[in-house]
Amino acid sequence: MRGARAPRALQDGQLVALVADKDAGALEALYDRYGKVAYSLARRIVADETLAQDVVQEVFLSIWRDAGRFDAARGTVSTYLLAMTHHRAVDVVRREENLRRRRTSDEALEFEPDRKPGVEDDVEAAERRDQVRAALAELPVAQREALALAYFGGYTQREVASLVGVPLGTVKTRMAAGMRKLKDALREPGRDEEDHPWSRR
Amino acid sequence: MTHTDFEQLAAGFVLGALEPDDESAFQRHLEGCSTCEASVRELEAVVGKLAYSATPVEPPPSLRASIRREVAATARPRGARATGAAAAREMPRHRRRWTTTVVGRLAVAASVIVLLALGFWNLSLRDQNDRYQQRIAAFEQAGRLLNDPAAQAIRLEGSAGKATALVSSPQDKGFLVVEDLPALRAGRVYEVWGIPKEASLNQAVPAGVFRPSRGVALVPFELAITPTMSFGVTEEPGPEGSRSPTSNPILKGSPTTRA
Repeated sequence: MRGARAPRALQDGQLVALVADKDAGALEALYDRYGKVAYSLARRIVADETLAQDVVQEVFLSIWRDAGRFDAARGTVSTYLLAMTHHRAVDVVRREENLRRRRTSDEALEFEPDRKPGVEDDVEAAERRDQVRAALAELPVAQREALALAYFGGYTQREVASLVGVPLGTVKTRMAAGMRKLKDALREPGRDEEDHPWSRR
Repeated sequence: MTHTDFEQLAAGFVLGALEPDDESAFQRHLEGCSTCEASVRELEAVVGKLAYSATPVEPPPSLRASIRREVAATARPRGARATGAAAAREMPRHRRRWTTTVVGRLAVAASVIVLLALGFWNLSLRDQNDRYQQRIAAFEQAGRLLNDPAAQAIRLEGSAGKATALVSSPQDKGFLVVEDLPALRAGRVYEVWGIPKEASLNQAVPAGVFRPSRGVALVPFELAITPTMSFGVTEEPGPEGSRSPTSNPILKGSPTTRA
């Protein structure tokens, strides 16, 4: 007989089911997995530590209150959680015009190719990061720029158009082409996290 | 707008970057277009991955502490394993609520006794002596370990055999008493699953593996028990079992089919 399984041995979907049943340990296990990447993303978007913490806290509390809203058939837990983080961070940045002005003045709107070696303790996250950055590096500059302004800057397509100085239609095309290329580059055969042939809800 | 126009909007949609008029037009289109819906799902996964491109920054420890604090008041107490003052404070109230909403201490205790008695009766009629001894020992052991008037007995049924889960949520403890399960081929095990309320089968949480001896086994649960949890048993590759069920349960039962 093996010993008791710690929550961290469980899969994301199992943790969410336990969270729906108000298991605080399961929520912490999710935080162990995604707290850091969510915080890093939020901080990048809002460029403010306190606001970033608020965003991440809201995200985890929202999962705590409403874990039942997660639909495994729609996508993975990480997609759900990080999309929610992105969404909320962008809301904050749109609300706070002054944050934005600070952001445009610094150069923080590009995807960052650099990575300090040796500071990484989470191998899986580092692997994903390398993968995403490699895929981004393959994109034409104009497409990458459009995606970065939308994703990290929280700008709408019209705002991106006026920042870059191209027509709205061009921005739409660039974003669509860029996302399509990323999708192809990031396709992971056989690595769908929760792939169960017989029990899709 | 043509369909190609809509396809193009999917990228802006998942990035949350559409203008309000495009957004509402796309949303209306999405309801009736399975192609775009599939495309949105794929692109959502890409957006999720983009998060990893941000330079990693360690969140301050106060963030975890703050989330923990916010959650403590509504968390389910976890018996002896509960940590922190907040969880400890919550415990007595939770216990009261639990015991009064369930059928009642005496009734549940009685149902466990009846179950045990029926077991004995059944056994004495049909069973060989050593098998009989094993079952008695299993029930006695489970009963002793639980020693809790609020314990619940949940019947697991299926064509392969039967089992009874004896669980105590306040104690965060439980056992599966297995009877009459067929012997397994080498390299296979049975695995018990806890299925949280309203969770799908692929969200079932592993609760322990076992190989029955003469059809009988006593399996202590390796997970935190909740009052609304259902249980199932599947056959899995041994000796470790699986992280998630790989087939439909051969035995299952939920608290509503209480024995």
